[in-house]
Amino acid sequence: MSSRGGKQKKGNVTSEQEEEEQPLQAVLVADSFNRRFFPISKDQPRALLPLGNVAMIDYTLEFLTSTGVQETFVFCCWMSNKIKDHLLKSKWCRPTSPNVVHIITSDLYRSLGDVLRDVDAKNLVRNDFILVYGDVVSNIDVSQALQEHRHRRKVDKNISVMTMVFKESSPGHKSRCEEDDVIVAMDSKSKRVLHYQKTQGLKKLQFPMNIFQHGSDEFEIRHDLLDCHISICSPQVAELFTDNFDYQTRNDFVRGILVNEEILGNQIHLYVTQDGYGARVSNLQMYDSVSSDMVRRWVYPLTPEANFTDQQGQGCTHSRHNVYRGAEVSLGHGSQMEENVLIGRDTSIGANCHISNSVIGNNCTIGDNVVLDRAHMWNNVHISSNVEIHQSVVCDGAVVKEAVRLNKQCVLAYNVVIGPNLSLPEGTVVSMHHPEEEEEDDDDEFLSDDQEVGHSKDKTRQKAFQLEVLGTLQRGLEENIVCDNLVLEINSLKYAYNITLKEVMQILTRVVLEYPFQQIAYFLFSSPPASQLLKTWSPVFKNYIKRAQDHLDCLSAVEELFLEQDTHQTVLMKMYQLEILEEEAILKWFSTGATNDKSRQLRKNQGLQKFIQWLKEAEDESSEEGE
Amino acid sequence: MPGADKETDLTERIEAFLADLKRGGSGTGPLRGSGEMARETTYLLRRITAQARWSSAGDLMEIIRNEGRRMTAAQPSETTVGNMVRRVLKIIREEYARSRGSSEETEQQESLHKLLTAGELSEETFREHFVHLKANVIEAINELLTELDGTTDNIAMQALEHIHSNEVIMTVGRSRTVEAFLKDAARKRKFHVIVAECAPFCQGHEMATGLSKVGIETTVIADAAIFAVMSRVNKVIIGTQTVLANGGLRAVNGTHSVALAARHHSTPLIICAPMFKLSPQVFTTCSLSLNDVNSCFPVLKILSKVNVHCPVFDYVPPELITLFISNIGGNAPSYIYRLMSELYHPEDHKL
Repeated sequence: MSSRGGKQKKGNVTSEQEEEEQPLQAVLVADSFNRRFFPISKDQPRALLPLGNVAMIDYTLEFLTSTGVQETFVFCCWMSNKIKDHLLKSKWCRPTSPNVVHIITSDLYRSLGDVLRDVDAKNLVRNDFILVYGDVVSNIDVSQALQEHRHRRKVDKNISVMTMVFKESSPGHKSRCEEDDVIVAMDSKSKRVLHYQKTQGLKKLQFPMNIFQHGSDEFEIRHDLLDCHISICSPQVAELFTDNFDYQTRNDFVRGILVNEEILGNQIHLYVTQDGYGARVSNLQMYDSVSSDMVRRWVYPLTPEANFTDQQGQGCTHSRHNVYRGAEVSLGHGSQMEENVLIGRDTSIGANCHISNSVIGNNCTIGDNVVLDRAHMWNNVHISSNVEIHQSVVCDGAVVKEAVRLNKQCVLAYNVVIGPNLSLPEGTVVSMHHPEEEEEDDDDEFLSDDQEVGHSKDKTRQKAFQLEVLGTLQRGLEENIVCDNLVLEINSLKYAYNITLKEVMQILTRVVLEYPFQQIAYFLFSSPPASQLLKTWSPVFKNYIKRAQDHLDCLSAVEELFLEQDTHQTVLMKMYQLEILEEEAILKWFSTGATNDKSRQLRKNQGLQKFIQWLKEAEDESSEEGE
Repeated sequence: MPGADKETDLTERIEAFLADLKRGGSGTGPLRGSGEMARETTYLLRRITAQARWSSAGDLMEIIRNEGRRMTAAQPSETTVGNMVRRVLKIIREEYARSRGSSEETEQQESLHKLLTAGELSEETFREHFVHLKANVIEAINELLTELDGTTDNIAMQALEHIHSNEVIMTVGRSRTVEAFLKDAARKRKFHVIVAECAPFCQGHEMATGLSKVGIETTVIADAAIFAVMSRVNKVIIGTQTVLANGGLRAVNGTHSVALAARHHSTPLIICAPMFKLSPQVFTTCSLSLNDVNSCFPVLKILSKVNVHCPVFDYVPPELITLFISNIGGNAPSYIYRLMSELYHPEDHKL
């Protein structure tokens, strides 16, 4: 489903000179496909969260527009309506905007790979395009990188597929996200990427020998690069994503290209910039550091007083020590705004407050004797007197009553009310949404849409999928296939049969546990015992069981199996030992999961109870050892 | 409907101009000099007068005032935009008064005599409709444009009166007006120029290259050497970004130190500034509100615990200035307020 948000521009017809004048396009992915900002992002999509009182997607669009992009495709998945509304009201969708914004929404996107496959399917990009996420804040001038990219492609006949933009930044700098830390081996002269690896906090890394044998005399191994998540891609990138179904993220793509270099001959290049600022707000730590960099004017010209989004009433004045004040801000007697403070309009601050390194939104009320240090407050927040907030995020509509102390890294989500006289320990997240209500989000939305028609279809699909998985595992055992390849096969089957992740895992559990019984029917060969099978396939399980909810789903599948087949409880023990399941999940399942008589009966089973008892003791011991 | 097309066309141009203003000031768009900025603004205002819908002078003034407010909000540091808007408003008032038949000079200027003799304030509502008002206003704006085109030449023509042979002249950074001024004098006189480079953007280097191409002996010095060299300088000639209402300057960063050094050595400080740079703004104590703090990257790479301030402009108080050379001649700083009252109407000082 696509909708237009601006004037339509006709593309130029081919001649070589006109090809160069074709409008520069960009693909903006307004969804991060992860839950780093959960539960804040349950109410508001990440791209619309305010950074310095301006939605993050506005920074990205401004960056693209000032680079000269003339056509942007914004892909939204989670809460796409809100993003669409915001963009239609913003200056990007005015008829006079130099950048035409097309908004494309779909609930089926699960990763960057899906978005690019859609780009390829819809044939949206004609030429080189810029690929960014919706939460990138940058003022880097990529025209130089664009020129180099185009030059390379012309000279080398389309071998270079992508140019990634990196910024030089010392290791451990706070605007470097720890998750995204990379170490890159590149050829110094041609800037080609020879090896690309995420450090993941490791102290020792291994490099393959082939980077030394590449025939170029100078190459560098760099750890001082900050990933700006800005890539200049050629149209081949979208095709490559379509060809390779399992590419989900840019990392997969880069590694795929590097691994398949001999076969496909594609290359990836880098562009390293020294000046300019570029960072992606990928988690709350990055949010804090990008916000403080923005207030300290490192992202000039995207500064708060410039009001680059052209909104009425958004302007503020800039005073000494980077103190920005919006319109109608009232400051009480004796209050100090020390440095690097941004205050939105219509906010009133009480007496004797001490504010430093903070961002405060519009329409907030702050009481007396409040201490704010590295606090991020959004709109309509009410803070009573004698409150202390350190390095925390307080979302829209929250009410903080008297004498509350928020220690570092706390998050108060939308409309939360925190009572008087409290001190929240570090890292507390308070939200109106119950943590156990964590539904399997979009998957359930699918099934609930066409309930009756869907159900029977679902069953047949699941049956077929189950058979296929069985076949795969059989082959895996016979031919000794590596578990990674098994995972690959199962993933492709998942797409082929349109099975949700939760079901994949449950069906997988059933198949593995039923495997010994299947084999008896065949009489082909003596099947290894269930425990052996579990051990062989434990990496496969671990790939699918990652979150707490996954553990519970797996356990419910195991429970169904027990009820039907009355197998032994050693299965559970084995799964626990192989670290497929965690003890907390098992205990939780045992204590709360009893939904009907049969399962209650099951839990009374002697063997099971003994296992749970042993488990509890083991857990106690480990928790005693721990603290 | 042709009318609607014109209106949308006009709105588009205004939007494009505003976007340009926002980006131009930030350095990402095309860098423009003040003269060009003034000319672009006047073209746009002429277009608004020609194409917008208005029936009386009051309407037109309201439209122009609104657009002017938006333009100054888009880029507060670019004062020529506001100045041109005020000039056009003054033109409209004059033309209106002329059409009504009264002489504009006596009615619109405040004077002690008027205060004592005038009974009540006459209500100027600008509501009358005059047929030829549009044409007159557009003609007057064209005259303004001609004046803008000729400012640099007018200033340069006065060079020979001020620069004598074998003089040592100091200048700071790069100013197109000063460059033209010195080049004009170089046709007939031989003199020596010392250019302070004006870090961190070092525009003095371009100035020095430009001057040496015409055969002027030029020396580039670092900003730190200004005081040391000042004892050998006969005159200091600089340009400025804005001339404030009190005769002070808002000039490029480093000018205040040059002015203080000149005062210490009793060296005359001469400012070459065309009249469109004269602004009714006044210097206030929260000085950063007049200032534009620029990107910090040329100074220092990003560091976690260090705040870098890189202001673009400096305030120079009028006591340190000797002479203003503008397209209407030379003036003392104490006379600036009078010039301003001739250019702008007091009610337009705040748009």
